[in-house]
Amino acid sequence: MKRRVVVTGLGCVSGLGQDADETWRRIAVGDGAIRELTLPRGDDTIALTVRGPAAPIDCLHTGRIEARFATRAIGKLDPLARFAIAAATEAVEQAKLFGSPVLDERTSILLGCGSGGNATFEIGYRRLFEHGIGKAHPQTIPNGMISAPASQIAMLLGIHGPAMVLSSACASSAHAIGEAMHMIRAGRVDVSIAGGAEACLTLGSWMAWHSLGAMATDTCRPFSIDRQGLVLGEGAAMLVLEEREHAVARGAAILAELIGYGSSSDARHITTPDRAGIERAIRAAHADAELPLDAPILISSHGTGTRLNDATEAAALQAVYGPALAANTVIATKSAHGHLIGASGALEFLIGLIALQKGLAPPIINHLATDPACALPLALSAQAIDHKHLVSNSFAFGGLNAVLIGRVA
Amino acid sequence: MLPTRQTIIAIIADEARIEADKLEPEATLDSLGIASLDVMSVLFVIEEKFDVIIQQEDIAATDTLGQFVDVIFAKVAAI
Repeated sequence: MKRRVVVTGLGCVSGLGQDADETWRRIAVGDGAIRELTLPRGDDTIALTVRGPAAPIDCLHTGRIEARFATRAIGKLDPLARFAIAAATEAVEQAKLFGSPVLDERTSILLGCGSGGNATFEIGYRRLFEHGIGKAHPQTIPNGMISAPASQIAMLLGIHGPAMVLSSACASSAHAIGEAMHMIRAGRVDVSIAGGAEACLTLGSWMAWHSLGAMATDTCRPFSIDRQGLVLGEGAAMLVLEEREHAVARGAAILAELIGYGSSSDARHITTPDRAGIERAIRAAHADAELPLDAPILISSHGTGTRLNDATEAAALQAVYGPALAANTVIATKSAHGHLIGASGALEFLIGLIALQKGLAPPIINHLATDPACALPLALSAQAIDHKHLVSNSFAFGGLNAVLIGRVA
Repeated sequence: MLPTRQTIIAIIADEARIEADKLEPEATLDSLGIASLDVMSVLFVIEEKFDVIIQQEDIAATDTLGQFVDVIFAKVAAI
């Protein structure tokens, strides 16, 4: 019999909120986190400053972490690991798994990050290139490496099973959640702490994104006419995934079920999205979930707000669902929390699951008017829904696609 | 200006992420959970702040926190 995978814990931090409750409270009423940000933050020794729209975390609340672990736990870590630890602590707390023996050897950690510790590397490189100092802080590699969040969470929670970070740009955490589901299905573990983190609001990272021409100068307007591009956010989102019988046996509250995962590679272009690749991932997820394409669903779109991505995603959704698309509801939460790159897939899946639970589609904000190239059943205001299934899309640069399907418990 | 021993202990506390009041001079670095990488980080910050070079062999024989601070203090005071 197939081992079923349920969700027993959720945790997140982003510009929108520092836990799942606050995040939902704000997004449900159309309260967005995008505002003007000046970079670099908290450093006036750099000659160059840039301003633009972003969804930053101004100050990470560490109370929840400090209540569980020593101050030493997060003291000097890169924001990447700090965000990941905050979200993981909340998720494991909600799942009531602190102190559980399952953490020891039967739990995995699978995180998605688009990049490593940008702040750590940029500070290190500044010394070399700007000041000509031929010495870097000894913690540059341990703090900056992309896998640091997985190691830090493993150390804090005493997890001795498989732990790793995988990377597929903007789809990283969706891939992580999907692969974690397979780990549980395959019987390798009973629990997985799965999600992603990103801390990309640094001067160097910002300039690199900016030079791609993909960033909006006003705000994030998914599927809207006159949309300019994406807006960067930062943070982390984590799920506790658990084998259903394991969760039932210990009396855990089951929040939702993860029933499908499809992934594909466009194998076509390093930045341009490909409709065929997107369609393949969506169809694969439906096949895995054994969910017919005409079942009414909540679609958490990738919806970055770039001209090409939104139009391509809209065309793929129309092609996959055909006339049945009209009965679906499409949300685009990046309009509120910005693009968390590697952490986006996890945060959007998390918000989508809460939306199913609450029976409410959070509104797409900043939408000006319909773009004929993006004719979709968009939730432009908060909408009551009775969908039982969530399809959450993540389509990354480089044509790496991941689609997750969840259903109400 | 010369740092006090307190300043040095504060740097150790910060770099090794240990509360300063737990840093008893008689305690060994090991027992305080100060790993070799933490020692490197402390030396890096001391060198930066006080423009001094401290070699690995200078601290090789230190066992307790007090000895570690003594070596650093002597190096900084000798500038």
